[in-house]
Amino acid sequence: MRGPAPPLRLMNPRERRSFWLGHWRLGLPALAVLGLLLLATAPLPLSLPLMPPLGLLGVFVWATFQPGLMPPWLAFLLGLVADLLLSMPFGVNATLFAAVAGFVRWFEVRYGHHAHGFDWAMAVAITAVHALLTIQLMALASHPVPLEPLAWQWLTSLFAYPAVVALCGWLQRAAFGARTAT
Amino acid sequence: MRRDQNLAIIGAVVTGAVIATGLVLLLIARVSPQFGASVRAAAVDVVTPLWSVVRAPFDGLGKGVNGIGDYFGAVGRARALEAEVIDLRARLQVAEADQIAFRQLSRLGRLENPQRRLVATARIVSATQGAVVQTALVAAGRNQGVRPGQPVIAADGLIGRTIETGLGSSRLLLLTDPQSRVPVLVQRTGQAALVSGDGGPLLVLTDRLGLQEPLQRGDRLLTSGEGGIFPPGVPVGFVVDAGEPIRVRAAASPRGIGFVRIEAAYAAMPATAATLPMTDAPVPVEAQRVGGIKGLVRGLDAPSTDGAT
Repeated sequence: MRGPAPPLRLMNPRERRSFWLGHWRLGLPALAVLGLLLLATAPLPLSLPLMPPLGLLGVFVWATFQPGLMPPWLAFLLGLVADLLLSMPFGVNATLFAAVAGFVRWFEVRYGHHAHGFDWAMAVAITAVHALLTIQLMALASHPVPLEPLAWQWLTSLFAYPAVVALCGWLQRAAFGARTAT
Repeated sequence: MRRDQNLAIIGAVVTGAVIATGLVLLLIARVSPQFGASVRAAAVDVVTPLWSVVRAPFDGLGKGVNGIGDYFGAVGRARALEAEVIDLRARLQVAEADQIAFRQLSRLGRLENPQRRLVATARIVSATQGAVVQTALVAAGRNQGVRPGQPVIAADGLIGRTIETGLGSSRLLLLTDPQSRVPVLVQRTGQAALVSGDGGPLLVLTDRLGLQEPLQRGDRLLTSGEGGIFPPGVPVGFVVDAGEPIRVRAAASPRGIGFVRIEAAYAAMPATAATLPMTDAPVPVEAQRVGGIKGLVRGLDAPSTDGAT
């Protein structure tokens, strides 16, 4: 494992270039969530709303893997993109993504990291609360929505969580190894 | 230790500020629903070409499979079509007679019937059965003349209406979205009602007007033309459950269909220009210099007759 980088002024141009290019990894969690959000707009040949909230699951997983790289303000920006892509009023996902990132960070600091099964149960609880709060926030934005479609979505998120964890885990290992970057 | 505490406090403050900003954005969206429309239009232009490219191989594969199926079912299909042609010929004769009678009655009643106008024929790129908002993307936008609030119709019936338009793509609000409302007529009884979405696969018939004649399973619903967006007579769906609430299956599904017609709003509300208040009050000299309110100041612009040069 390489030691810490020398001060920027002592680097030659080549070292400086590789130092800056080495920072792309820091944007990986955000890019991964953006990819998941795009995937969430994919056309499904189904008449029920079975597409899970992939963006929310991505924010949750990265907030547990790399809390320093998924701060609430970044989750807020990703939520704005989610609102844009899913044609929802600005602020619904932005508020909820930021709240999820903030909650996970607080929870992990206070109670430490947990096993996969516990995180899965926590993700299930968070998606349920997310669905209920989405109804409230949509009503606040004068776009009332019924509960039933969100219940279907919650059900699919139960099964989508391990897949999102596997994808993010693979990216985590490829970019950072089995450790936290910050 | 103190540094960690300070960082935790700053983190909590930033989180609170970010959540508060989100709530403020929601309040803005409540007051001004068109907030961020141009950004949304740009997002539609980004997503539509992406899914257009991604789905191309799947479309090709589907076409190949359908082609094989068509080949094996060709004889049965030809017989079914022959039977359908005979039935349709009989219906066409009745419709032609009705058309003549309708034209005569229209002339007698001096009925002005707006004409439907095709804006664009476009391909549905993706239809998202979202849990909150149910929309579809089509590959036609402002460059093709598409504007928000135009009806979108497939071969089998109504699909929805445009809500966001980018340069080369648009987003449609599907009939199944909870925000969707379509004024309809029950074909058998002529009763007016509204068809609305509730996020599920079926639609709901509400707000029936007039005599509450019981509906039957299979009753067809057509657009009534009320409201000025959807042209009258377009199939919307048929009743599948006449209980309470009355459930309707849409006549056309946005999934798996190729092309749709985007038409101009059938009878858009006329834009009335604001009229200037007529007043005898003297017009300020500054207004005369800039040429404002020309009609009103024409008299004052005329050469003076008081002898001044």
